[in-house]
Amino acid sequence: MSNYKLPISKINQLFKNKELKPSELYAETFERAAITESIIHGHLELFQEENLKKALNSDKRYEKGKNLGTLDGIPIAIKDNINISGYATTCSSKMLSNYISPYDATVITRLKNEGALFTGKTNLDEFAMGSSTENSAFGPTKNPWDSSRVPGGSSGGSAAVVSAGSAIASLGSDTGGSIRQPASFCGVVGFKPTYGTVSRFGLVAFASSLDQIGPITNHVEDARLIFNSMKGHDPRDATSLIESKAKQPKLKNAKIGIIKELMEDGISEDAKKEVHKVAKLLEAEGHEIIEVSLPLTKMSISIYYLIAPAECSANLSRFDGVRYGNRVSGSTSSEMMELTRANGFGPEVKKRILLGTYALSAGYYDAYYGQALKARAMMKKEFTDIYEDVDYLISPTTPSDPFKFGEKSDNQLEMYMSDLCTIPANLVGMPAISIPTGLSSQGLPLSVQIMSPSNTDNTLLDFSESLESLVAFTEEPVINGVVS
Amino acid sequence: MADKIDIKNVAKLASIKLNQEEEDRLKNDLSMIIEHFDALSKMDLPDDKISIHPLGMSLNLAEDIASKSLTHKEALSNAPESKDGQFVVPPSLD
Amino acid sequence: MNIIPTIGMETHVELKTNSKMFCRCHVLDTESPNESLCPTCLGLPGSLPVPNKKAIEFITLLALSTNCSITNDGMFHRKNYFYPDLPKNYQISQFDLPVGTEGSLEIVVDGEFGTVEIERVHMEEDTGKSTHIGSGRIDSATSTHLDFNRAGIPLVEVVTKPLIKSSKEAVAYIEELRQLVIDLDISEGKLEKGNLRFDANISVAHEGDKELGTKVEIKNMNSLKSLEKAIEYEISRQTKMLIAEENIIQETRHWDEKKEVTSSMRSKEGSADYRYFSDPDIPNMILSNDFVNEIKKIIPELPSQKRKMFIETGLSIEDANNLGKNKNWIGDLYRSITKITGDSKSSFNWVTGELQGQLRKLEIKDLPNWVTPKNLSEIILLVKEDKISFTSGKEILANLIEQEIVPEEFASENNLIQENNIEEISKIVEEVIENNSEVLERIANGEEKLIGFLVGQIIKISKGQVNPSVAKELLLKEISS
Ligand SMILES: [Mg+2]
Ligand SMILES: [Zn+2]
Repeated sequence: MSNYKLPISKINQLFKNKELKPSELYAETFERAAITESIIHGHLELFQEENLKKALNSDKRYEKGKNLGTLDGIPIAIKDNINISGYATTCSSKMLSNYISPYDATVITRLKNEGALFTGKTNLDEFAMGSSTENSAFGPTKNPWDSSRVPGGSSGGSAAVVSAGSAIASLGSDTGGSIRQPASFCGVVGFKPTYGTVSRFGLVAFASSLDQIGPITNHVEDARLIFNSMKGHDPRDATSLIESKAKQPKLKNAKIGIIKELMEDGISEDAKKEVHKVAKLLEAEGHEIIEVSLPLTKMSISIYYLIAPAECSANLSRFDGVRYGNRVSGSTSSEMMELTRANGFGPEVKKRILLGTYALSAGYYDAYYGQALKARAMMKKEFTDIYEDVDYLISPTTPSDPFKFGEKSDNQLEMYMSDLCTIPANLVGMPAISIPTGLSSQGLPLSVQIMSPSNTDNTLLDFSESLESLVAFTEEPVINGVVS
Repeated sequence: MADKIDIKNVAKLASIKLNQEEEDRLKNDLSMIIEHFDALSKMDLPDDKISIHPLGMSLNLAEDIASKSLTHKEALSNAPESKDGQFVVPPSLD
Repeated sequence: MNIIPTIGMETHVELKTNSKMFCRCHVLDTESPNESLCPTCLGLPGSLPVPNKKAIEFITLLALSTNCSITNDGMFHRKNYFYPDLPKNYQISQFDLPVGTEGSLEIVVDGEFGTVEIERVHMEEDTGKSTHIGSGRIDSATSTHLDFNRAGIPLVEVVTKPLIKSSKEAVAYIEELRQLVIDLDISEGKLEKGNLRFDANISVAHEGDKELGTKVEIKNMNSLKSLEKAIEYEISRQTKMLIAEENIIQETRHWDEKKEVTSSMRSKEGSADYRYFSDPDIPNMILSNDFVNEIKKIIPELPSQKRKMFIETGLSIEDANNLGKNKNWIGDLYRSITKITGDSKSSFNWVTGELQGQLRKLEIKDLPNWVTPKNLSEIILLVKEDKISFTSGKEILANLIEQEIVPEEFASENNLIQENNIEEISKIVEEVIENNSEVLERIANGEEKLIGFLVGQIIKISKGQVNPSVAKELLLKEISS
């Protein structure tokens, strides 16, 4: 059996017992990439050559019994909106196709300190705006389960490479579901931590009050491992939490709420069935399942599509061709900037920048952006109140199984609706995880999402791990005629 | 509400040059999305003090201790155009 | 009907912190461009701002010292506009919740007290520096060079209410604000270095009109002189237009230092729409009462307090104000001296005039340690009591600065003590009258100027030991008798 689907803790054991070397595993993931990448296109860039040396150094550390951490020698793929010093950070945008970052994101520094290796940078919807990775300026990523289908997005590349086995794990970023939705579409685990637990320094901002970096992995325990090595206060991020005490939810005899509003119209029968299946399994374990109502959840798409574009309209202003980026010349600097931005941004990015600009502009702020802020505050209260009663909330991760290329790209609202279940966690700041639980009637992966109160991340991961073993989902995609 | 989108002005504010086809398409797309916001913008919501952060966190200020960061070379390494250690752009008019 | 001008001032004060406002880059005073940059102040993708604690302490000091109310639950906002010297194309600033609001500042205009109402005091970051290359004029430049060393340096913006009535008031306000930030030790306060940069909003209206006239913003005034001239020029320009019933348009005008006129700047299409919204990278800034109370404790003696104290020693408002503009040790020295001499006016004149003048001439920064309030007072008293002439006093002071001497001893050793004995002087006066009968005749015929000539003769004969005023008095008495 191949090693790249093993839990990281198991790989670490093999390394320690000298049954496997980091350089061997590294070679194995690249062999896997050679088979899968031509179809999947999950990586924008592979760091093979550069990192082989690092893998050999890791070999030496294990030989001496002096490995840096459990992640020492583990090949991890990085979404291409997270800066690694000396490498391109393109955000899958024409704007940044030649941009080389001069610095490391805090998460990269922390993973490097653990000895992790990076396989390369993964594809995404341009500037993380999208739910299918179709918005990448460098071509879409394909779903490993069916190459006529999208891998989800925006972290489509990061989810696909873990599913396809060309990385042991990956980092994604999640603004409205960008880790969980592609994880669900690719049949892997995706975890969005509590807002502020993982530093955003070095993550190219989409919507600052929603963005959060998190792991995409084959196993819940891997997600926990990577999360714990990245988390913790960062003085370079003013929104990074210093201490996070919270009443933890119960692990046994817990009360779990199924969100009524996320089991209604627009949610496929397959997706609902999966939630009911999981609920039964949990009930059999002694947990209590109840239905709960969170009425503002119905507003979450509207709230999100005001707040995120408003923030993005300012966050993306810095891409002007003055200090970096692909410049289009002009006779004045203002013309140069207008042409650079016209040429560098793709249609979805332009649309969201304009939407956000409009929502913030004189005369419209109160009706739109201001109203969204108020609704967000109300929604947070709704969730806080519900958590007085329940330990966890459960819902489908996505309204349906993976859709086909082009299927939703002509209907923007339908595309936006595919984040219906994941957006609330970003608006409220709470942790949420997507766990693969089964296959749809079409043989495609389906997942459920579990959420818990803010700052209860490790308890949520513990609970998810026990659910993962209850579900025992072991299916894997067949790529290029090769099962992993 | 949606008819009111002055797409030319919005594009100007966002510093993005649009061609006619883009203007038409974006105006149409934005109008559709904004229509979808109607229910939200009509909601009667309490005017509480807004904390933009989901966790209502409070700010930790940094100590005023200076440290070296990018070298001059690194700072200019991605510059589309530079001269005499400065970034160069077409004339900027006040 | 009278036409009344109204002026509001917006002043940016550069704070003297070690590091920038939102990153820890050094605040450098260097000519070499782009030397102090990091991902944050260069606006690289993925960078984040973390506000500087010292800068927040500094602005709180300034807000408290201008009698502002402190906003306990404040925020940073993004002010969105595209300009190449603004790395993120938004400036982190403050909008509806600035650090300080509703304050006031006491000023001195023409020897009288006045008050300037402060609307707000807020924190923001500076932009980079643009140099327009090609020709002297901005609008015929061929390219613009950008140095971002200055980008991100903390600025406090102080905005007054539009209640200032004259260029003199505006200048007095800037002088007061400058002195305040220097005394608070929060800014270098150097106008020539751009530590203080000010814009003026000016409008005119008929006296009694309920509403203010259309406001015009004037930029590019780099000195107090240009501030005064620009305001005066603009008031007269607008006044003429108002009388001629011409339409004054709301615009930004540029002060042309050489031509001494304001001219319309190329106006951006449409009115500015900055789309302010709270910066999601920076949580709400809580300035607790404890924090504010700690800052209150470290407020030093303010210019207005110093002024008050100087006035209490007997100085005029104007002199007290001028004294306050000096380094603190000058004020302290004055205080000690005036206590000994009991004469505030001459103590003020000696300290701010003769002493400072001589130190400046000799390029001495610090007072030599043997120059004490005691021996300085001795000189002042010798002059005051007519024991020596003013000129001799200056001579003694010059010697005192160079070497340790005892003024009175020095005066007698060098024959500087004046002859005040009437009998002795009378003899000389008589002698002079005898020898100058021609001159006396001319004086009798109206050439009064020649009295000075005779006084000079008396002093000459006495080898400078006669008190001129006594000599003159006696001379006049003799002539008239
Ligand atoms: Mg300002
Ligand atoms: Zn910096």
